[in-house]
Amino acid sequence: MVPLSWYLALSAVLFTIGAVGVFVKRNVISIFMCIELMLNAVNLTLIAFSSFYREVSGQLFVFIVMTVAAAEAGVGLALVIAVFRNRESLNTDDINLLKL
Amino acid sequence: MMEQAFFLILATLAVGAALSVIIQRSPLYSAFSLIGVFACLAGTYIMLKAQFLGAIQMIVYAGAIMVLFVFVIMLLNIRKEETALDKYRYLWLLSIPFAATLIVEVLYTILKVTSDFTSLPEMAKRPEVGDSQSIGYGLYTGYLMPFELTSILILLAIVGSVILARREKD
Amino acid sequence: MIFFLQEQIPLPNPPISSAPPVQVNAILTDINPIVNYLPILLLLIIAISFPVVALNISSFLRRTVFDQAKLSAYECGNDPVGDARERYSVRYYIIAMLFLIFDVETVFLFPWAIIYDQLAIFGLIEIFIFIGILIVGYYYAWRKGALEWV
Repeated sequence: MVPLSWYLALSAVLFTIGAVGVFVKRNVISIFMCIELMLNAVNLTLIAFSSFYREVSGQLFVFIVMTVAAAEAGVGLALVIAVFRNRESLNTDDINLLKL
Repeated sequence: MMEQAFFLILATLAVGAALSVIIQRSPLYSAFSLIGVFACLAGTYIMLKAQFLGAIQMIVYAGAIMVLFVFVIMLLNIRKEETALDKYRYLWLLSIPFAATLIVEVLYTILKVTSDFTSLPEMAKRPEVGDSQSIGYGLYTGYLMPFELTSILILLAIVGSVILARREKD
Repeated sequence: MIFFLQEQIPLPNPPISSAPPVQVNAILTDINPIVNYLPILLLLIIAISFPVVALNISSFLRRTVFDQAKLSAYECGNDPVGDARERYSVRYYIIAMLFLIFDVETVFLFPWAIIYDQLAIFGLIEIFIFIGILIVGYYYAWRKGALEWV
């Protein structure tokens, strides 16, 4: 039996790696992927608690989070395409105006 | 014992792939490393008896979201992050204390707070959750409102991305 | 793990009036449902090791001498022109995005279908509302020409 704290520790490590990725990456798509990584780390926490408490709510949260992640990826990547079309760059330092 | 060994293998693979995500300079390699992370996490979900979500993780995350990421990377033809970014080298140095603070804080909390509630007698009496039947009961009775609102969210995602991705000319 | 291996061994001469062997299976899966995923793990290991082993064996066996004739296009093949990583059309993105959205929608239908008989008419109504809202989005994408390939 794997103790709960192991899952939480794995989740914490993955979340930290994702946060560092958002910090050091300059490419919009890479930053997006690091955000997905952080979402997944939190999902792991929710599922671990849900499984150990034997309460289904946590897994339903994860279900909704996955849907939100799908919608976010669809709209976010469309934004990336729209920005790239106007700026010819994906560097976050070049995208510093609100208008396209 | 076997389970713990298996968890350790999965966790090592997941952390290695996650490190690869942020170390690779080419977004395409980052995307494929991220698929590895998702697969390892699906394995841990199944170990936690969340079998339905393990399958969904593979179908939605690894199968659909990452396909979209790879499509966009190929669409925009991104090879590498521009090499002019070397002036941001200091961010790597800054990130180390940042990451250390975050991880120590979280691990301290985990080790201090987690109590052994899983051996409580009333916990063992509850049925296992995680198969698609228990998910269905939760989603279509107790969480009906979030479920219906999700469809509106998906509708907005369709409209938003069709508007944003289409060219203005045609 | 050991239980799983023992399950594979055929029982010699099953007694006539004892419990059917299906119950053995039920007991085994009651212990831990994860045991059912061992075949997938085995499949994964085989699937990963097969290309690795096959490619390495062929690299040991073949000659590693490359000359002009060997590297050229085979028989009537064309010489490659340009780069394989061309820019793709944005239409691919819209198709992929619609796939993602309706993939998520389908995922919501799985748990509904499993407990369909218990939810009865109530479940039917709620899933019709769900799909009805999504069909509006589908209709919108259709009318905007997102599905047309020009």
